[in-house]
Order: sequence, then structure tokens, then C-alpha cells
Amino acid sequence: MAERRVWAMIAALLALGVLLVPLSQALFGLRLTYTVRVVALGGSLLGALSGAVGCFAVLRRESLLGDALSHAALPGVAVGFLLAGRQLGALLVGAGIASWLGLRLVAAILRTTRIKQDAALGIVLASFFAAGIALLTYIQSLPEASQAGLDSFIFGQAAAIIASDIALLGAVGLAVTLVLALLWKEFKLITFDAEFASAGGLRGGLIDALLSTLIVVTIVLGLQLAGVILMVGMLIAPAIAARQWTHSLEQMVVLAAALGAFAGGSGAVISALDSDIPTGPMIIVVAFALVALSITLAPGRGVLWRQLRQRENRRHFRSRRLETGA
Amino acid sequence: MMGLERALIELLLRFVTHDALNAFLRSPQHTASLVGCLIAICGALLGTFLLLRGLSLTSDAISHTVLLGIVLAFMLMTGAGLEGDTSSPWLIVGAAAAGVGTVVLTETLHRSGLVRQDAALGLAFPLLFAIAVILVSRFVDDVHLDDDAVLVGEIGLAWANTNSHCFEHCESLRITPEHPAAQQMRQCVNCRELTISPRDERAEFREVCGNCGVYTPAQAWSAGLLDEAPTLVFFPKSITVMLVLTALTVGFVAVFYKELKLTTFDAALAKSLGFRPAALTYALMILVSLVAVGAFDAVGSILVIAFFIIPPAAAYLLTDRLSGMLLLSPVIGGAGAFFGYDLARGWLFGMLPVAEGIAALNAIFGLQLREAWDSSISASVVLTMFVLFVLVWILSPRYGLVVSAVRRANSRRRFDDQVVLAHIHNHQGTPSHAIELRAATLHQHFRWTPQKMNRVLMRLRALGFVSQEAGSAILTQRGDAHVHAFRKQLLVAHNIPDIDPTQP
Amino acid sequence: MPEPAELALVIDDLTVAYDQKPAIWDIDLEVPQGALMAIVGPNGAGKSTLIKAALNLIPRAAGSVLFHGKPYEAARHLVGYVPQRGSVDWDFPTSVLDVVTMGLYGKLGWLRRPGRRERAQALAALEQVGLLDYAGRQISQLSGGQQQRTFLARALVQDAQIYFMDEPFAAVDATTEAAIVNILRELNKRGRTVLVVHHDLQTVPEYFDWLTLLNVEVVASGPTCQVFTLDNLQKTYGGRVTSLHGGQVLAAGG
Ligand SMILES: Nc1ncnc2c1ncn2[C@@H]1O[C@H](COP(=O)(O)OP(=O)(O)OP(=O)(O)O)[C@@H](O)[C@H]1O
Ligand SMILES: [Mg+2]
Ligand SMILES: [Zn+2]
Ligand SMILES: [Zn+2]
Ligand SMILES: [Zn+2]
Repeated sequence: MAERRVWAMIAALLALGVLLVPLSQALFGLRLTYTVRVVALGGSLLGALSGAVGCFAVLRRESLLGDALSHAALPGVAVGFLLAGRQLGALLVGAGIASWLGLRLVAAILRTTRIKQDAALGIVLASFFAAGIALLTYIQSLPEASQAGLDSFIFGQAAAIIASDIALLGAVGLAVTLVLALLWKEFKLITFDAEFASAGGLRGGLIDALLSTLIVVTIVLGLQLAGVILMVGMLIAPAIAARQWTHSLEQMVVLAAALGAFAGGSGAVISALDSDIPTGPMIIVVAFALVALSITLAPGRGVLWRQLRQRENRRHFRSRRLETGA
Repeated sequence: MMGLERALIELLLRFVTHDALNAFLRSPQHTASLVGCLIAICGALLGTFLLLRGLSLTSDAISHTVLLGIVLAFMLMTGAGLEGDTSSPWLIVGAAAAGVGTVVLTETLHRSGLVRQDAALGLAFPLLFAIAVILVSRFVDDVHLDDDAVLVGEIGLAWANTNSHCFEHCESLRITPEHPAAQQMRQCVNCRELTISPRDERAEFREVCGNCGVYTPAQAWSAGLLDEAPTLVFFPKSITVMLVLTALTVGFVAVFYKELKLTTFDAALAKSLGFRPAALTYALMILVSLVAVGAFDAVGSILVIAFFIIPPAAAYLLTDRLSGMLLLSPVIGGAGAFFGYDLARGWLFGMLPVAEGIAALNAIFGLQLREAWDSSISASVVLTMFVLFVLVWILSPRYGLVVSAVRRANSRRRFDDQVVLAHIHNHQGTPSHAIELRAATLHQHFRWTPQKMNRVLMRLRALGFVSQEAGSAILTQRGDAHVHAFRKQLLVAHNIPDIDPTQP
Repeated sequence: MPEPAELALVIDDLTVAYDQKPAIWDIDLEVPQGALMAIVGPNGAGKSTLIKAALNLIPRAAGSVLFHGKPYEAARHLVGYVPQRGSVDWDFPTSVLDVVTMGLYGKLGWLRRPGRRERAQALAALEQVGLLDYAGRQISQLSGGQQQRTFLARALVQDAQIYFMDEPFAAVDATTEAAIVNILRELNKRGRTVLVVHHDLQTVPEYFDWLTLLNVEVVASGPTCQVFTLDNLQKTYGGRVTSLHGGQVLAAGG
């Protein structure tokens, strides 16, 4: 029963997503240009990808790792530019390497010192980001640099998305889906009970590394659109919203992907209403609205639901007391 | 604020001349280092408590959301027709509100029981930051809030934004048309309205005074209207703001030291003793927000978190005492701020030139990067702090990598000895004696390599703990005494009576 | 001495240390096949450490562990594990049936997904622990005892030869305890070896036929009737056990 409700919700979201562009054209008389449609498509692809991957980050209590890793990617972008010029491939590879180094550094600090996770994340986040800023300032002072537009990696610049980026996002999305589908039960077990998993002979380290890689890849792809500061929101908001509606991991991941896609697409369309509204932040606001809705309204878990049930209980209790008192 | 500044300058003028003071403050390096050090002191003191409470990333969240407070206050102020300025009290109120708002939003999300603490934080601040960015690009056209200012601040320009104070010959000057210095000139009355050129014969003229008005002493002097130079001091506003914040922070920590200590280490006990841990936490968060907004001009809204997190983390690896951390972390932060300026200009710690590093890179990878390094000051300050942190991490005499490695090697050796001795002691005189203690096969029981076992046995023989008898290792009397000594040490910790199983 | 082939578990000279401080120290332990054994010792004695080291979950400083004569890598399919209940996040979005099916993942190997047969096995295990009605339930909606039984069912589907259970009786009521004991006896009857970390001294002789007293070192190990003496318990608990209820235990020891 509950299962079917969630699948219906996912279907509705997907339908809404597909119809988003024609609907908003029809209802609001919006004229969506080719660019806006590309951005909306990119936003929803990224939203779907980060929604699905983010579920594992949230369930493993690594929500803020995404924040540190996305900030840590910045110096990689700058070094990639210095070494290879403005080629998206080089920038993304650089970002991936830097972000992965940040991950290792967090692990090293945690392993060899008594510093706790929050501070270790903060150290890596701040110092990598500073390194990125220092390198970007240096790049801007270079005579030949046409400023390179690297700033767009900080706040994200959705308008810069072009068709080839969509192809990249789609390809990576497909690869991630494939990995998730093939290793589904391993991912699930390691996230739920890592100890039992390795007692059962699962190579925990390998799966761990694979999951971290998925998160890093997602972050790197999202930088262009959402920017390093807001990427963590893309990663965890859909997952948290989805968690409220369902008790099954399968549904949670699919629903998070659908919610992420919806937030990405509609955020892009809303920001097209006014040239002054930036796309990345708008997507985050939509995603958070979905979280707020889910937390209040989700049946069973939601705040409203629980309050209703509490009142019901109280009324029940009171009438019982009246009966026994009489 | 102005009065405070003046009192401070008067104090300083007892020791230096105003020319020297002006010269000192006019140097971008001096002002930047000073402001950086003050931010570092505030950040380090507050950050120490955040670190020990596991709240380090809350400073990250607050520093992001302070932007929202600033933007909202900005919008309200421009709406009310006020001049926007980052040292205005309204901005400070806005920032404090945003900081508290972040904490409240996170707590609310967390308290709903549906979202974990870390996820709640990760949700709250991207949202508030996103709203701030939308508001900036949608409604605020002030150059002051452009992307770069948000990110890195302008600590290098802090020297230029000053208040002027006058101490001698301070008459402000009013020039009236009667004043000898007044410049009278002829002005065409109707050329503007009628677009008639003054050359036109219909033009009407009147006498006007070109330089009439009220002059502050500084203006009067620079316009050459004074014979005697006024004694002027130009004092950077950032220094004042940060001085006030530093005083507040130091005062807060000094006054509430006992309470802060107790609530940090044992919130439950503190509560039962009648302290209010929550109130102190909110006070802490308000101070964090204030420092974040005070530092906004200088280092932007993101890099400031380094000032809260990195120096206390480094101090945490150097000392176990709260008071030690409170002393060390400002020193580390201050050193970072001081040397950071050098790094921005291409010198790491004033000694190692960055240019040579770039030259090496160029040579190795065949690149053509410009060797002159000139970079963001605030980012360089953070990088310097990080370098200091790494140095401490490696070299700390208490928890450093080097010391731990040495200590681990030592205790590893001692531990191996103990494992073997305990094994011999356990099996000596039992039926399994011959199997368990045969020297040639001893390594197999432990799954050690024969080499490792040989090394350990050799050491134990040299120490006179172990001897060999009929191909089996046995304990000497000294060895037995040694086993009893370290067994006791270990077992006391476990509440086990030292009953020797090999004795009848 | 029993023949080595009959020994389900042989631990030889096992030492495990955290930060060079031994948590268990030169442990020698032999458990015959078909034993229903309690591991008893005070908090911090190293009981969980012993189990984790045997299952290769933490590194050993010295020593070896053999399961039916084979090292762990070769004997994985022989071993079942019930971790301490607090070790997982019970708000994880998954159902009881799902958790039990996880016990079969090791057998399935990489890439293969659980199918109808696995589902049937999991349901059978749930029936055995009396949780069949709860199969579809989200795990956060279980009571502590039900969570414990879920874990037990997950171990049952592993169909192992040797079971390691870390405090399965912690915080469960009398009915659940009885149910769990019945399952242990059932396993025992089928010739399985079961090692249980246990805290309640009073029920040791009733539930278990084999006993290991552990406090960093093995104080005593063997048939319960021989090992369960006041003297041994005092060695284990450091004189904090002053009397055992009933004179029968003392008599057995003397
Ligand atoms: N990860 C760890 N790091 C450092 N020390 C540890 C670790 N885990 C356990 N210890 C220490 O090792 C010793 C044995 O711990 P263990 O968990 O095995 O005890 P136990 O017998 O299971 O206790 P309990 O009855 O409380 O479950 C304890 O002193 C504990 O403090
Ligand atoms: Mg335990
Ligand atoms: Zn041996
Ligand atoms: Zn002795
Ligand atoms: Zn031994």
C-alpha cells in the first residue's frame, strides 16, 4: 500500500518533469529559449545523479563530507587550467584529483591525530579553498589569461552549460546507475552494517572507495552548475526529502533522484523568469522547499502527521477517562 | 566608536609622533597584518571552544549565513535611505540575527527527529547562502557586495578606509565671501536654464564664491587654506572594529572562563549545577557571528572559517590543557596572519621564495608560468596557517607524527617482548610445554616470521629474561620477575587478582 | 584430549592490542564441535574483541585461529555472526525481511541478486524466531528484543557451522530470552557450535554446556560443570563475586 503510494509519487514527479517545459510555456506564457531548455535538462540530470548518490552520503552520516570535498575541488580546477588551459576535461580531472586528495587528507588527520571529524573537515575545506583562491588570483594576474571564467566554479554558472556537457552528464549518470544496479546489495549492506559485511567476506575497503568515488564524481560534475559552495545542498537535500516518504532504500534512492531532477529542472525554469535570479541558488531553494514539504507532510513520519496522531491519542485517552470516571 | 578611537590614538601619541603613526598605518602591510592578527585572536579564542564542543563546522555555517544577514540589513538600510557601510550597527544586528537564525534553524530541523545533526547543518547553510546570493544578484547593485568581496575580502585595502582625527590646530574653517581666501568669480545666471552660452550678450552675471563652505581641518590643510599644519591621524576603520571585537571576545572568555570550561567538558554536570549551557552556546554563537561580520570586509565570508578552525586544531595537538590552547591558538593564528602577507607577495615565512618553486615547475613540466607571484592576502594567510598546522602535526612533541612513530616503534618492541614472555610464562611447566615452547617452532604459534621471532628472542636473551633448555625457551628468574611486574600493571587496570596459573 | 578433527574452533596464542595495550593476551582456546559455549567476563574483559579478532574484523598482534582446521579465509561459509545490537543505525530505511536476506549476500557472491529462493529462506528463518508477521516492517519500528531476533534470523539463514553471538540477551525480556535459548538449543541439536557472550551468571549452568571465563587472559575453559566454580569466578571478576545462588555450584566445584 505504502509502497504503491511512493511509486505513484515518483511517476507523478517524472511526468511533471517531462511536462515541465511545455507546461510552463502554456501556463505562464513563458518563452523558453534553447539555452534555458539545455540548462533545465542539465539541472535535472545533475539533480537526479546527486539525489541518488547523496542518499548513501546521508545514510553513512557523511553529509558534510560533500561540503568539504566540493570546496577542496577548487585548487584542482586552477591547476588544471594552469597545466592545460581552458579545457573542460582538464578542469574536471583536476577537480576530481584535488577533491580526492582532500578526502585522503581528512582520513589521514582522523587516523593519526585526536582531531575529530568536524574540525578535520573544516581544516581541509578552508585550506584547500584558500589554495584555490590564491591560485585563481594568480591566474587573474597572468597577462594571457582571459580571466578564464574560473570564478563560475565557485558560485556555479548554469548558463555556461552546453549540449556536450549534457552528454557528459548523461553518460556519467548512466555509468553510475549501472554501478549502483550491479553492486546494489553490496552498497546496501556496507551502508547498513559494515562490520557484518566484512565478516561475511565483503571487501569493505573496495566498496567504500567506490562509494567515495561516486560522490567525488558527482560533486565534480555539479561544480559548473551549482558551484562549490552550494553543491552540498544538491547532494543531501533530495535524499533527506526522500527519506521522509519511504522505508525502503530502493524507493528512497529512486525518489531522491526524481526529487533532485524536479528541483534541478524547475529551479532552472524559475530562474529563467528573471535574468537576475541565478540558477544554482534557485535550485537549492526549490530543493529545500521540497525538504520542508516532506518534513511536514510526509505520511507517518511528517511533523503534521505526528501532531494529528498525538491529538487523536489525547482525545481517545480523554474519552476513555470519562468512561471509566463515570 | 569615534570617541574610543580618539582615546586610543591619544594614548598612542604619548609614545610616538603623529607622523610616525600615520606612516605606520599608511603601510598596507602593517594594517593588513594588524587586522589579520586581531581576527586571528578572536577566531582562535572562540574556535577553541567550538573545537572542543565538536561545533567547528557551525562556524562554517554561520560565516556563510552572515552574508544573508548583511544583505538583508543592506536592503533595509538602502530602503530607508541610509548609507550602507559595513561598520553600521544595523549590519551588526543583522549578522548576529543571521548567526542565531542558523543555529535555531539547525536545531529545529534536528529536534524534529527526522534529520541528523550533520545533515541539518548541511541543509541549513546552503539554503541561507543561496537566498543571500539570489538577493544580492536580484536587488543589490552595490559594488561592495560583489562576488570577490564575498569570497576573499579586501584586507590589502584596509589601510585606505580611515577615519581622520585632528589633535592640534583643529579649527574647522568657514570661508565666507568676506574671507580673504575666498575666491570670488563671475557666474552666468541663466545659461543653464536657457542654454545660453556665457559669451552670448543676453547672459547675466552675478558674483559667486567658488570655495565658500565649511572645511574640516584635514580638508582645509590640503586645500592650502591653513598656515600651520594641523596634527592629523588617519586611523583605519577595520582596526577599530576588530579591536572592539577582540576586547569583547577576550572579556567574554575571561569573565565566563569557569562556566565555559564546565559546559564544554560536562554539559550535564553544568546543567545540574545551575549553569545554563544553552545560553552560553548562544552567546558563543552570537560572538562568532559578530566576528564573522567584522572580518567580512577583510577576509570575506568563507575564508574566515579558517581563523576559527585551523589554529585551535593545531593547538589541540600541542597541549592537553584548555588554558594552554587558549594561549597557543591565538599565537598560531597571529603568526599565520603575520607571515601570510609575505606569502601573498611571494615569500613563504619571509624566507622561501615562491617564484623559485614556479620556476622549478616551469623547468620540470615545460610550462611558461609567470614567476612573479602576487596573490590574495587573505587566502595566503589561511594557507600559512595550514602550513603551520602541518608543521605542528608532524613535529608536535606531544602528538606529532614523528614522536608517535618513535613512540610506537618503542612500545611495539616492548609489546612484542611482553607477548613472548607471557606466552612462555603461561605454558612453562604445563603438559603442552614441549610443543608450545620449542624455540625452533615458536614463531609458528604467533604467526610471525622466523626472523621477527629470532630478533625478539635474541633481545630477550641479551636482557637475561630467557634462556634455552633442551631446545625449549624458558624464563630465567629475572624474566619471571619481569613478567609478574608487567602483568600486575596490566591486570590492575582490569581488576584481576594476580594469581599465577603456573604456581600450585 | 579430543582429536583435532572434532574441534570446531582452535585459538592458539591470540593476542590483540589497541594502541599497543593488550585487550586480550595470549589466549589459547579449544572448542569441541557441538558445544554450546558461554563467554563470560566483566565489562572490558575483551569478549567482543575476541570475537572480532577471530572473524578478522580487527588485526591480530600474534596468534592464529582455525575453524574446523581451516583459517578464516577458507572457512568463511562456516561462520555466522550476530553483532552487538547497538552497532547499526536502526533508522536505516529497510525492512525486517531485507535485513534477514542480508545474511545470504555472502553466499550469493558479487553481482548476483537475491531471488525467490532467498526470500523463502529468509521467511523460514523469520518464522523460526517468531517474527513472520513483522517481515514487511521497517526496522525502526521494532522493539529491542525484536531487533535482536532479527539479527538472530539473519545469522540463521547463513546456515553456518559455528555461530558467534555478542550479547544476544542484552536488554530482552524473559519471553524473548526463552525464545532465543530455544533457538540456540535447536542449533545445538543439529550439531552446530555456538559461542555466546553472556552476562547473567545465574543462567550460565542452565543454558550452556561449555564455558570460557575470560578477563584479558583465559581464566578457565571447559565443560560448565567443571569450570563454573566460585574460585574461578573470583579470579575472573577480581573478588567481586561473593556468593553464587544455591550451594549446588560450589559443590560441583569442590
Ligand atoms: N576501538 C578500540 N580502541 C581502543 N580500545 C578499545 C577499542 N575497543 C575496545 N577497546 C578496549 O579494549 C578492551 C576490551 O574491550 P571489549 O569491547 O572487547 O570488551 P567486552 O568484554 O566486550 O566488554 P562489554 O562487556 O562491555 O561488551 C576495553 O578495555 C576497551 O576499552
Ligand atoms: Mg562487548
Ligand atoms: Zn601455541
Ligand atoms: Zn611466574
Ligand atoms: Zn600461549
